[in-house]
Amino acid sequence: MVIYREEYRLYDLGPHHPFSPVRLEMLTSLLKALGVWQEPLAPPEATREEVLSVHSERLVRRVEAASRGEKVSDLEHYGLGTGDTPVFPGMDQAARVLVGGTLEGARRILAGEKRVLQLGGGLHHAQYDRASGFCVYNDLSVAIRRLTRAGLRVAYLDIDVHHGDGVQWLHYEEKEVLTLSLHESGRYLFPGTGHVHEIGKGGGAGRKLNLPLEPFTEDESYLEVFEALVPWALAAFRPDVLVVQAGADAHFLDPLADLLLTTRAYERLFRLVLQYAEAYAGGRVLFTLGGGYSLDAAVRVWALLYHVFHGLSLPERLPEGWRSAWEARLGKPLTPTLHDPRAPYPEIPRKPEIEKRNRLTLQRLTELVGPHLLH
Amino acid sequence: MLVKDVMHGPVISVGPEWTLEDAYKLLLERGIRHLPVVADGRLVGIITDRDIRLATSHLNPQGPCPGCTQVGDVMTKDVITSHPLDPVEEAARVMRERKIGSLPVLEDGRLVGIVTGIDLLDALLKLTGVTEPSGRLEVRLPDRVGELARLTGFLAGRGVNIHSLLSYPEDGDRVRAVVRVNTLETHLLAEGLRQEGFDVLWPPKKPW
Repeated sequence: MVIYREEYRLYDLGPHHPFSPVRLEMLTSLLKALGVWQEPLAPPEATREEVLSVHSERLVRRVEAASRGEKVSDLEHYGLGTGDTPVFPGMDQAARVLVGGTLEGARRILAGEKRVLQLGGGLHHAQYDRASGFCVYNDLSVAIRRLTRAGLRVAYLDIDVHHGDGVQWLHYEEKEVLTLSLHESGRYLFPGTGHVHEIGKGGGAGRKLNLPLEPFTEDESYLEVFEALVPWALAAFRPDVLVVQAGADAHFLDPLADLLLTTRAYERLFRLVLQYAEAYAGGRVLFTLGGGYSLDAAVRVWALLYHVFHGLSLPERLPEGWRSAWEARLGKPLTPTLHDPRAPYPEIPRKPEIEKRNRLTLQRLTELVGPHLLH
Repeated sequence: MLVKDVMHGPVISVGPEWTLEDAYKLLLERGIRHLPVVADGRLVGIITDRDIRLATSHLNPQGPCPGCTQVGDVMTKDVITSHPLDPVEEAARVMRERKIGSLPVLEDGRLVGIVTGIDLLDALLKLTGVTEPSGRLEVRLPDRVGELARLTGFLAGRGVNIHSLLSYPEDGDRVRAVVRVNTLETHLLAEGLRQEGFDVLWPPKKPW
């Protein structure tokens, strides 16, 4: 089941902002041009109360006021009105529409649906008391809370290139939520957290896993540590459902970060996630989108996700008409095939060192959380 | 950052008449390594877990007697101390040069705190660590008047808030500035800085 509605595109942080609604417009038009688009389920927007299941009243009140264009003196204290997360008219409702989609996914899972693809959301930086990093409300955590309140154990997998800090901190002490974030090391990249030693607290100890990867990590090394870590953690935790933030910004073309995945790695990741859901989570999986700031790359990565999700065979080339129309509109060339060309970037001289360091990080992580997870 | 910002107090201390056995038990119970020794309200010495272990070792020529040896016989008497208003870097320099693990902190002759190597590591973490969601820029600046101001002025002009800024000298009249900023878009900032002639070390320019 696919969840989407046009109003997702109201979440618009401005014409030059990288978290652009054009991504969704491009993606849906591509799927239509490929002839694979099926009418999605249009979700209701989340209510104020639903947002308050993970956010503070004072944050919500400020988002609402800023939304109406009122002057609020302490906005920046709540992470709003910054360059990354500017305010815009109607932002409260726009954010609640995105939350509504992911929350509807959780409801559908609870009603017996196995696989849900929410073509939006993934606002993983939003925290209890603070908007952050393009994210106003945390749709993922609202959905996760809905699932845990129904008695389900939730495994959250975050493949966005940035650490899934908001989701991690919101569930940091919860026993029934496993968070698993693979990201570029916070030594350099926003938000700076996501070290292996952030493993959870109290009942949540050992159930918050972070695998920070070296800048310039490539397909091979990423898949190596992913395939070693994820099934291991899921087999130990035994979730009832998998929630996946499928950000596309670990792609080598992404302008904001420094990992070097190609579409081939993403295809493999999506197939693996579906396999893991079958093997460890009763087949139940809810995907959202996330970061992804190269229009060319993000749209192809998510088109891949859509095809793999539906078990469709992959087209090799993208429709010419679609491509020329978007090339004219964006004023730059687009990759003509669904997959990246072979060897699309120059050889990375530090490759063996990067692979070695990623293996070491994985080893440190499993040593740290093993005693908690395996009991 | 001053010593009073990183020190710990009130201080767990012992008297010179304590036995080594009792002092060691106290160290173990409280999970600490240093005990200032106080007599009549004045600091008269300091004793560490290492002092006690050496004094009670079987290799000690007098033979070990933890139950009968007193702290006053083993403690270091000329204690190097610090003041609450000393800068942290001065405490660090003294500890490094004298190769000692802690400094009792005295104010008007009264023992008000203690600074240990662990407190200085905490200070380092506070100076270099991540306390807010932020990204990192590393810029190499010429070591001359106004360069850092040029950098921070550029960031202010872009509406970017600086969460922390660390700078240290490099070889050859240059200074490395490490800046944590409240944005995901450090690549964009780096590009702008390069256009202004800054030598940006991180994030790197991608050749594709």
